[in-house]
Amino acid sequence: MKAEKDQKKKINKTTFATALAKGDIWVKLSTVIMGAGYFARKQIVNGILMTAVEIGFILLVVLFGVPSLSKFGTLGDVQMELKFDPLTLQSTINDYDNSFMILLTSVITLFFIFVFIMLWIWNIKLVYRLQLKKQNGEHINTFREDLRALVNDRFHITLLALPTVGVVLMNIIPILVLIAVAFTNYDQKHMPPNSLFTWVGFDNFKNLFTSSMTISFGYAFRKILGWTLLWAVLATVTTFIGGILLAKLINSATTKWPAFWRTLFVIAIAVPQFVTLLLVRNFFSDSGIVNTICANIGLTQVLRGIGLVRVNYIPFLTDPNWAKVMIILINIWVGVPYQMLIATGVLMNIPTDQIESARLDGANKFQIFCKITMPYVLFVQGPALITDFVKNINNFNVIYLLTQDVFITSDQQLAASNAKEVDLLVTWLFRLTNEYYNYKMASVIGIIVFIICAIFTLLSFSRMIAGGREEEYR
Amino acid sequence: MKFKKTISMIGTHLLLTILAVIWLIPILWLVVTAFSSFPGINTAHFFPTGYSLNNFYRILFQPDSVVQYGAWFKNTLIIAIFTCIISTIFVVMVSYAMSCMRFNGRKGLMSFSLILNMFPGPLLMIAVYFVMKMIGLTNSHVGMIIVYSAGSGLGFLIVKGFMDTIPTSLREAAKIEGASEAAIFIRVVIPLCKPIIVYQIISSFLIPWGDFVLAKLMLNSGISSDFTVAIGLYNMLEKNLIGKNFSAFCAGGLLVSVPIAILFVIMQKCYVAGVTSGAVKG
Repeated sequence: MKAEKDQKKKINKTTFATALAKGDIWVKLSTVIMGAGYFARKQIVNGILMTAVEIGFILLVVLFGVPSLSKFGTLGDVQMELKFDPLTLQSTINDYDNSFMILLTSVITLFFIFVFIMLWIWNIKLVYRLQLKKQNGEHINTFREDLRALVNDRFHITLLALPTVGVVLMNIIPILVLIAVAFTNYDQKHMPPNSLFTWVGFDNFKNLFTSSMTISFGYAFRKILGWTLLWAVLATVTTFIGGILLAKLINSATTKWPAFWRTLFVIAIAVPQFVTLLLVRNFFSDSGIVNTICANIGLTQVLRGIGLVRVNYIPFLTDPNWAKVMIILINIWVGVPYQMLIATGVLMNIPTDQIESARLDGANKFQIFCKITMPYVLFVQGPALITDFVKNINNFNVIYLLTQDVFITSDQQLAASNAKEVDLLVTWLFRLTNEYYNYKMASVIGIIVFIICAIFTLLSFSRMIAGGREEEYR
Repeated sequence: MKFKKTISMIGTHLLLTILAVIWLIPILWLVVTAFSSFPGINTAHFFPTGYSLNNFYRILFQPDSVVQYGAWFKNTLIIAIFTCIISTIFVVMVSYAMSCMRFNGRKGLMSFSLILNMFPGPLLMIAVYFVMKMIGLTNSHVGMIIVYSAGSGLGFLIVKGFMDTIPTSLREAAKIEGASEAAIFIRVVIPLCKPIIVYQIISSFLIPWGDFVLAKLMLNSGISSDFTVAIGLYNMLEKNLIGKNFSAFCAGGLLVSVPIAILFVIMQKCYVAGVTSGAVKG
């Protein structure tokens, strides 16, 4: 029994090199015709399928990939031109290169080539394993048995197949394209199909870190990165603490009808963000209702007196400093009910015996909150807190819906790189693409944001996956 | 002592009332403005001077070149329902594979998908937009559904966290009885995961329902009847239109919120369970 297990382990551990070296003629033939090894072991259907995949792949690369890949080095060199044909008296468009299509198809082709090479190596190993099995006189699955394995011990392949295709289409290929664009000069002046763009190496990255007379990206990037991080910290901390305090208040022993109160706050988040934020933005507009009320009760005059306001209204969302404060406050309004719901769930699980014994030892409420409740909540919610932080770095809705079309920057250097004081990196890159078609810089910023987020994510999740804690509760 | 307790009770409720008022003022403003007889923003009074149902009548029965509320609502509903079905199925499938099965490269795959998931959303959308444009699926429902649901398999963490709490012995017992892995998945695990699946269904419905940025990027034809509610309502508030559209915007916002509000209040408990089941295990 043990020997058999060892044998199996050995088979599972075959490397590509040994497979190729020790394989018989059929294994070696499989390097060219991928189905060969299966035919030799009477797995006819597997063999046909594998060969069909191979032929399909080669056809795809030759017909669809090679024309693009051959121009991948330059991203095309034939500019679109209108040619007037004197015979037919009509203008025709020449056979031009579309740099973006070349880039996109090349990336897709390269990705498929990579996948195919992996498949090819895996296939050789598999075929060699079949050979070993045959030599040892073991049972070799028929096609029907292979199919049945797909709903049994190889069920994960069935489950993961479609979602993986989706992720490749919607995540991996777009990310690869985006990374490639960061190394080109794809912007408004180089927009396919009318004109070409090409590789520029690390120029865009250099631009992002330089501030000079002509390029202000370095200045804008520093300012916006600073605000993004400040915002992410403040937004995460304020809503987190606010949520816990509100949950404590609602669930405290003296509060009657906790469910009723909770529902009141939940109603506030049940309205979609795009409705509430657009509403609030008009609520606080320069000539809006809050300003009217503040003027009526004389608050505007008071603020003007102490120099906080220089105009005859309160610039809630139009002055950089006011806007930043307002954005944080409005975000508390948006975020606290969510955090309250989560905190309610966490507080319910808090070990009561600790609190009880602390109370017996004479600790007051405040001490219990600081020494027992908070550490517990922080321990449980730690990873979620970091996830929230990353989400806030990418919190597009709050910033965009509150300030787009309302906030106009007066900082010329920021305006030169299409940025505003209140922008996060994501809203900045969104504006760069959606309004100014500056894809190259947007891609560079995106890569930077990704690196920042990835670092924080790895910090939070390495504990969870590496520690094998998932078995703990079973 | 009793006196002190009463004071603290009154204090708590006073504080809660003040907070609740702060949280509900914008909502109240939304509701009263939706019933206002004045079409623009009322900047002088909180409550409108006159009430009418005109705004609702206008957005529901009098579509014009800008306001196509019926069409928007229909588009959003179709996109949200299909997205909801596809992404729930994807998430549950991936969760089962990651939680209940053991195969080579499982942990690597999980780490990889976590990193992928952290690529900033709006940024990814720009690249997705390129790809969809190449396939010619911008400005179409199918395109929107694909964009919302295709990558959804990455969001498996919460459901997986819940499945991790299902005792292994249950599955082993089923296996001894001769059930295949697929049968265990469908007959044993899915019924046990009902609460978290309800949570998943609702939250994957809400993503396209409340989404703004992706729709803004993908639906750029400028034809109002193609829009979703979010984009339509946003366009209603353009500077030169806001004067005659603001109350109608509120009416539209109210209509789109009511189903969600009801859903939210009902599923509060489910939501708490869902969010924390992932978090507690952190």
